[in-house]
This record gives sequence, C-alpha cells and structure tokens, in this order.
Amino acid sequence: MMKSRVLWALAAVFLAAANLAGQEGAAVNGYARTKAGALLEDASLFLSETTLDLRLSYRSGDAGFFANPVLYEREGRTEEPVLREAYMDFRGESFDLRLGKQQIIWGKGDGVFITDIVSPKDLSRFLVPDFEEIRGAVTGARLDLYLGSHALELVWLPAFTPGTAPAAGSLWAPALPFPVTPTFESVVSPGLSLDNGEYFARYSFLGESFDLAVMGGWFWNDTPGYTVTDKTFVPGVGITALTVRPEYYRTAAAGYAASGALGPVILKSEGAFYGLRRYQGNPMIYPDGYAEKYSLQYMAGADASAAGFSFGIQFIQDLILDHDPDLVDPELKTTMTFVAARTFLRDTLTAEVFTYLGLDPLNALVKPKLTWDATDALEFFLGAYLFLGDEGDFGRYDSNDGVYLGAKFSF
Amino acid sequence: MNAHANRVLVLTAALFAAIALYAAEPSGTEIMQAVYDRPQGKDVQGNLTMTLVDSKGKERVRSLRQVTGTFASGEKKLMVFLSPADVRGTSFMNWSYDEAGRSDDQWIYLPALKRVKRISSEGRGDSFMGSDFTYDDLGDRHPSEDEHRVTGSESIAGEDCWIVESVPRDPKDLYSRTVTWVSKKTMVGVKREYYDHRGALLKTLTISKLESISDVWVILKTEMRNVQKNTSTRIEFSEVKVNSGIPEDEFTERAMTRGL
Repeated sequence: MMKSRVLWALAAVFLAAANLAGQEGAAVNGYARTKAGALLEDASLFLSETTLDLRLSYRSGDAGFFANPVLYEREGRTEEPVLREAYMDFRGESFDLRLGKQQIIWGKGDGVFITDIVSPKDLSRFLVPDFEEIRGAVTGARLDLYLGSHALELVWLPAFTPGTAPAAGSLWAPALPFPVTPTFESVVSPGLSLDNGEYFARYSFLGESFDLAVMGGWFWNDTPGYTVTDKTFVPGVGITALTVRPEYYRTAAAGYAASGALGPVILKSEGAFYGLRRYQGNPMIYPDGYAEKYSLQYMAGADASAAGFSFGIQFIQDLILDHDPDLVDPELKTTMTFVAARTFLRDTLTAEVFTYLGLDPLNALVKPKLTWDATDALEFFLGAYLFLGDEGDFGRYDSNDGVYLGAKFSF
Repeated sequence: MNAHANRVLVLTAALFAAIALYAAEPSGTEIMQAVYDRPQGKDVQGNLTMTLVDSKGKERVRSLRQVTGTFASGEKKLMVFLSPADVRGTSFMNWSYDEAGRSDDQWIYLPALKRVKRISSEGRGDSFMGSDFTYDDLGDRHPSEDEHRVTGSESIAGEDCWIVESVPRDPKDLYSRTVTWVSKKTMVGVKREYYDHRGALLKTLTISKLESISDVWVILKTEMRNVQKNTSTRIEFSEVKVNSGIPEDEFTERAMTRGL
C-alpha cells in the first residue's frame, strides 16, 4: 500500500517536473545522491541512503512558486515522499510576501543555532548530516519589508512544527534525564488554533563595514519538556518507577547577530536571551520533574583566509540563570568550533574539517570531508565523524565513530 | 634681428618643442591613470560565460549574471551564478571604495544554507572560482599601487599601443611586475603580461573583442593564459547594457537572495 502511494507520488512529481521544464519562467533542478556509512567500531553498515531532491520553481512576473519534494530510500526501504518546502511568493516594490512551507534561517554562526529560532532542527542523526539537512521547514506567512539596506521580517506560523529528536533505541538516542527508565504518556502538542500561533520579527541591516540583525519571537519550544505525572518511591532505594508526559510549551527569545570586517578578519557574534524554559531535575526535588529558568546563549567568532586556506573559530556559552544544583543540565556549558577548508586542483577538490569542542568535560566531534568534482555535475565525497571523549554532548557518542562515502549528481 | 634676439627665439622654439614632445608622449603613470579614469559607465550589466581550460584541453563552463554600479561611495558589484547546477543561485556581492587602502566589503549567499555571509576580502590573490584570474586580476587596480614607466610602443591587432611596465610598490605583491599594452585610441589595456617573483612570465591576458556601448568601451571577450601551467580561462560578456539606471538599492541582501 505504502509502496503504491510512493510510486504515485513519484509519478506525479515527475509529470509536474516534465510539464514545468518546457515552460518559460520554469526551472527544474535538484540532485540525486547515494551514500553509505559504516561504524568504525564493528564495521557495521548503518547508513545506506539514496536521495532524489527536486527543486521545482515557476515565476510569472512578480509571482512565483517553489516546491522541494524529496524521496528517500534508506536501508533498502522506500520512505514516504517528503515535501521539504512548498511556497508561493509575491514580490512588491519594497516588500516580499511568502506563504506556505518554507525554511527560515537566521543567525551569523556556523553550526550553531542561537538566534536561528524559527525553523525546527532535525537531530534524528545528531549533528552528523550536513547543516542544510538539519534545518527543517515551517508552515506560515513571512513578510519582508525593505528600505535600502534595511529590512524588517515578520513571520506568523499558525501551526507548530516540532523538532525531530533521535528515535528511541537508535544510535543517536541520548541518555534520558531520569533516574529510571520512565513510562511515557502521549505527547501533548498545541492544537490547531489561532491562539497557538507563533510570531517572530527580525530587523536586519547590511552595510559598510558591519551587518546587524535584531530579532525576537514568541513560540513553542521545539523540544518537549517532560512532566512527571506519577512516581514510585521506595525508602532506602529511591525512585523505582516514573511516568512522564512530554509536553510542548510556550517560550520567547530576543537576540542579536552581528558581523563586521576588521582588516583581514571577519568578526561575528550572536546572542539570545531565552524566556522560561523547562530544565529537567531530580523528581524528588521538583514535583513536576522540571524547573523553569531563564537562560542566555552567546557566541563570538572570527573568520579569516590566508595562504589559500579559510579558517573559522567560534566560542559559545550556554548559561542557565538562577541555576539549581539539582538540575540535570550544568549552569554553564562552553563549546568551541573550528573550521578549516582549502580547495585544490582549480577548485575541483575541496578538503574541510569542522570540529565541535566541548570544554567541560573535554570532548569533541570532528567532521573531516573530502569532495571531488569529477565533472560539473558529478561529485564524489568521502568523510568521517569522530567523537572524542567519554562524556559530554559529543563524547557520549564515542562508540558511534563512522566513515561514509557517496556520489551526488546535480542537474 | 640681433644675435641676442635670435638666441631667445631658438630657445623659445626649443621649449615649445619640448612641451609638445612631452604632451605627445605621456608618462607611464599618466597613461595608467588615464586607463583607470576611463569612463566605465554609471552602471553595466550583462551575462558572463567563463570557460576554464585545463592543461589537457578539457573545458568547464560557468555562467553568471553580473551587475556593476558606480555610486558616491564607490563601486558595487553583484554576481549571481546561473550554472553549473551545483552552484546555481549562489551570489557574490562586492562593495569597493575610492578611499586608498580601504578594504572591500564582500558577501556570499549559498542557496543551500539560505544565508548571506560576510566574507574576508583579503584573499585577493586567490583564484576566482578556480579560474586563471585572481580576484585582484578582475578588479580595477589603483595606479598609485605601482611604479610605471613607458618602455616603448607597438601595434597590436592594428591598434597603436604604449607598452607600460608597472612594478608594485609592495614587494610582497602577487606579481613582481606587469607589462601592459595600452591602446592609444581607447585607453584600454588590450594585452597584459604578469611576471612571477623569479622574473619569469606567469600569465598573459589578451582582449579579443572590445565594443563601444553607450560611449563606454566594454571588454566583451578576454582570455587569461597561464603559460607555466598551460591552462587558460576565457571570459565572454554578452547581453551588455550600459547606463540603464540601476539604483543603489539593487545591491542588497534582498537582491543576493532572490537573484537578478
């Protein structure tokens, strides 16, 4: 039944693409990609994926539409087609209006999401996929107003789109913040109601020597908090049973992002103050299993290029305000990122390494990648992700070190 | 007329002759300044096709749309890649300033990441998109950055040219010297040789098609050949429009993200 639906969807997409391709103002682009990955620990093949990513667009004067259907075959199973984006837009003299499912990307940082608060993240495979695949899409209306180099962006999302967490039992499932394995009740999500809309606004300026953006939002947290609804406590033993209810909840954030040139170096920074968010804690201390706290997250970084290399460094801190020692998360978490890249053979060979480094405890994720453009359309790639350390955001996946290779044909 | 008056007359004639000779043969600096000051048009737009040829003769083609405008603060340029498919929609914006020594502002937009990112403009000696041109080769180099001298005259494709040797004031510059053949008619450098720091010829730039559009000389076909690596890059500029009234607010983040 599912295979039949997929085939029908595939046929419909190709018919639409073929019809579009012949029309003026229409474009059909995309890529086909196949990749396979194996764990270093036991050489088990954990990733076998083929992707068809189509970008269909049509413009007629000031109006246009864009659709990005994606088909995946993973581990030999054809999955349901995904509509990553599908929107229509209207371009006025000094405004753009875009309606539908769309990715909205904010922030100046690389690989960090401090002010990137609109589109949810797909962390089903942690931070291993390319960043463009980690970002999801939201459904709603976006209005951009322009005045020279100044822009004001207003976003209304009538329906909440949650982030995607690693599946329970998968390689990337994180340790749960509970003393015992809990029983989960059904997830409580905001219903489809105008009262449950999300609202975002951003002012941005791009100018001589520096760029600045200031943003804010009132929205549902992309990941749920877990409310303890029942627990069994045995004196002398502790909690022996726990029932929790995952609940999405409202929060807010306000922040900035800036970058500027200082001689040969690009300096950049972003930061955000988050409204009350739920942090899990000891259920014996917190009856609901969590405490609500304000928090700060900020980044300072620099990019430069020399001798054909481009480099980048970022220093990031997460700070929970009015922190309690019984919370699972630490009061302060410090992370750094490093990136180095260089092209060879007239830009046909690219070598890059992106590294996350957690400082307390010391742990890291190192992502080296080599890409060779065999032709303008066909590229081969080879990469790895190496987790270093025994604990921390990255060290906890120490046994998940892996390598992957693949090919991508763009059209 | 006495002898004294004769001497005065001869001296005056010699002085006028010297001035006339001076006027006929400008210095290297004056020639390169005139090249730099040549009218470029308030704005220029068109499609660029860049063909990269490797040492085995294999070709790779990139096409892009380019818009350039000159404003009170300096020059603004926006390039949007049309092909190949994997870079389609990528755009690059550069703001350069008349102030000597002031670095350019540069941004890149990558459609996959949906984000405009400010980038360093210091890699001017780096290759432009894998071609034989560096970013510096494609820009307007200010004459004050070099010492210039005229080394002779020569006719190139029927055009009378001055030959001007330019030596960078900064010894760490990308090239040890360049030699430019400047057309006496158009004040366009129709050929240029680039020498490496060993003094050997590195690259040769030739212009094979030049056209006056709206009273502005526009280079329509040019080729950079790296004689040491035996590679070359051809650039063709087509569908060119000059002085079509492009406003300054075309050079914004909005234009980068939606294309031209």
